[in-house]
Amino acid sequence: MLFKDQIAFVRQHIRKNKMRVFMTVLAATIGCAFLIVLASVGFGIQQTMNNEILQDEQVTRIQFYDQNATTEDLDKIKQQDHVKAVLKHTTVHYDVTASLKDRDVYTTNSFYDMKDYQAVKGKLFAGTYPKNDKEVIVGYHFAQGLLNEKERNAISDAELNVKEGEQVDYSKYGYQGDIIGQTISVAFKDQGEEGQTLTETFKVVGVTDKPSYDWQRDTSLIFSDQALPMIEKTFTKTEDNISAEYVIHVDHMENVMPLLKKLKDDGYHVYSVLEQMDQINMFFFVFKAGLIFVGTIAVLISSIGIFNTMTMAVTERTREIGVLKAIGASPKLIQRLFLMESAFIGILGTVLAVILSYIISIIVNITMPLILQAATNEDTFTKQAFVFSVIPWQLVVIAATISIGVAMISGWRPARKATKIDVIQALRQEL
Amino acid sequence: MIEIKHVSHTFKIGKKDNEQEIPVLTDVALHVHKGEVVAIVGKSGSGKSTLLQTIAGFLHADVGSIQINGQETMHFTEEQHAAFRLDNFGFVFQNFQLMPGLTAFENIELPLILQGVPSNERKQRVQKLMEQIGLTEVAKHYPNELSGGQQQRVSIGRSLITNPPIILADEPTGSLDSETEQEILALIKDLNEALGITFIIITHDDEVANVAHRRFRMHDGILKEEA
Ligand SMILES: Nc1ncnc2c1ncn2[C@@H]1O[C@H](COP(=O)(O)OP(=O)(O)OP(=O)(O)O)[C@@H](O)[C@H]1O
Ligand SMILES: [Mg+2]
Repeated sequence: MLFKDQIAFVRQHIRKNKMRVFMTVLAATIGCAFLIVLASVGFGIQQTMNNEILQDEQVTRIQFYDQNATTEDLDKIKQQDHVKAVLKHTTVHYDVTASLKDRDVYTTNSFYDMKDYQAVKGKLFAGTYPKNDKEVIVGYHFAQGLLNEKERNAISDAELNVKEGEQVDYSKYGYQGDIIGQTISVAFKDQGEEGQTLTETFKVVGVTDKPSYDWQRDTSLIFSDQALPMIEKTFTKTEDNISAEYVIHVDHMENVMPLLKKLKDDGYHVYSVLEQMDQINMFFFVFKAGLIFVGTIAVLISSIGIFNTMTMAVTERTREIGVLKAIGASPKLIQRLFLMESAFIGILGTVLAVILSYIISIIVNITMPLILQAATNEDTFTKQAFVFSVIPWQLVVIAATISIGVAMISGWRPARKATKIDVIQALRQEL
Repeated sequence: MIEIKHVSHTFKIGKKDNEQEIPVLTDVALHVHKGEVVAIVGKSGSGKSTLLQTIAGFLHADVGSIQINGQETMHFTEEQHAAFRLDNFGFVFQNFQLMPGLTAFENIELPLILQGVPSNERKQRVQKLMEQIGLTEVAKHYPNELSGGQQQRVSIGRSLITNPPIILADEPTGSLDSETEQEILALIKDLNEALGITFIIITHDDEVANVAHRRFRMHDGILKEEA
């Protein structure tokens, strides 16, 4: 029998039982669509979380903690492939307050070799990099953070009286003039028993770029490492008060993990946020597998329908199958014809399910952020490109394999039954 | 053409511990030449249909040898039987056994579809045959829109379409009135004379048996040729 004729044969049978086949296809569609949409939530949340991490400039960095790192160690690291720069980041663990006239801000501090820092950071938001120990660059929100007593009161008033769904506009507070060129005084204060304080003046020469997240506020001070001796003169340097970490800047994200592994093998204490991402991905792998498993149960339930439909089709056509066998149709052919019919149900159900799933996925991604925003009164969901449902082609392949596979398996027994039909018994049956 | 030797068959009924054996065929021998029309007569329940089913391969006899065109078919697998039937046998049944969902034309076309004959060749061959056996007018009719005689013509058409050397017919006129029976018998005679097709016909009816070149009688599973 030609394949073309086999198709025609199956089509003719399906047409005879349109309604029944339609209902079975519908069940298969719902089962498979349930599987895809359910698993797509796993993929969606994973993508959202990964995007969150990848957006962060931290991804191409490796942290390296070692107070006793020698220059040889650093040189060795610098010579590794894909290392762009190794930046020494020194922090002074004292309370740091910067003030400008009546305004002040409590802030954080970092000391860098400005040549290295510039090589890594590139262009500033405004101004230039410090050229000596008395120059400083400030975070994007530094000027905004410089508040006086009056403004602090105004802000707490505004925060108390803020209306539902509205936010306090912080940008109208703080130092409104051009911060570049201003001289600020910075106080480093030891809270220990000696209670030493060092106050120095610095000239603001630059402002860093806006942080990558909306919610991040950067009021930090970034000094040249030339300013460190000044500090060390006042405070005796210990591991507790002035510490250094090294940040290894890698050229590309995909080179981070191999390099990290190599450095770990060499015995360095290194860390990358990508490790966290590995763990997250591992978690999501299990999570998605769980969702697919639950979805498969729906597919299995729908397969009962296919089994039923095919069993009925075989029983109904017992006499016809008998005639076919009598005039010379081989059992193999008969089995194939019935398997084709259940495969058709499975394939059509899957195709419709994939289309349906994409539509549901789009609707979910549009409406869910709006619903969550209305429910929680926060605009994080609409602002942050929150993705709830993603259907990658891999999911389509997995779902299609499961759905069509299950359809074929459930059609298999009825098809076997058709081949076992006894010609003599079947021909004895009356219409 | 057909050589049947020492074929015996016993049906077993009842439960395993209380089995009853019904011998249906006892050492049956039958020799049919090419181009012969052979009639098998006998009382109801004597085993005529069972013999035909054994020849066709619907039923596997307990012992014996069946050679068709020099091929021993007793040890065929089900697949081999099916393939052999498709090319060597045509079947005509008492109750026609047409496909209710197919038109007269499509019913006749069916064996050719199974043989994998391409569509346009099929259409030509069915068209030509339907003209020969006078069915052109009812080509588009479904079986339930046809008279008994017409249905049996369609079923004969279906058995002929693959040009098989042998046609096995189990009471082909059993459900027809005598006038229609005459028509069908005339058709069988024509086909035998014109195409040299070998027929084995089972019948109760002397009219039918008279068309045959030779006549056998089945009696309690024993087959004997009659003069
Ligand atoms: N599957 C079976 N199981 C048990 N006994 C059977 C079976 N098939 C047929 N028989 C028996 O075999 C005997 C012969 O049956 P068969 O159908 O060959 O008779 P027949 O000569 O064709 O009769 P009829 O003229 O009525 O068609 C009968 O007694 C019948 O009861
Ligand atoms: Mg009979």
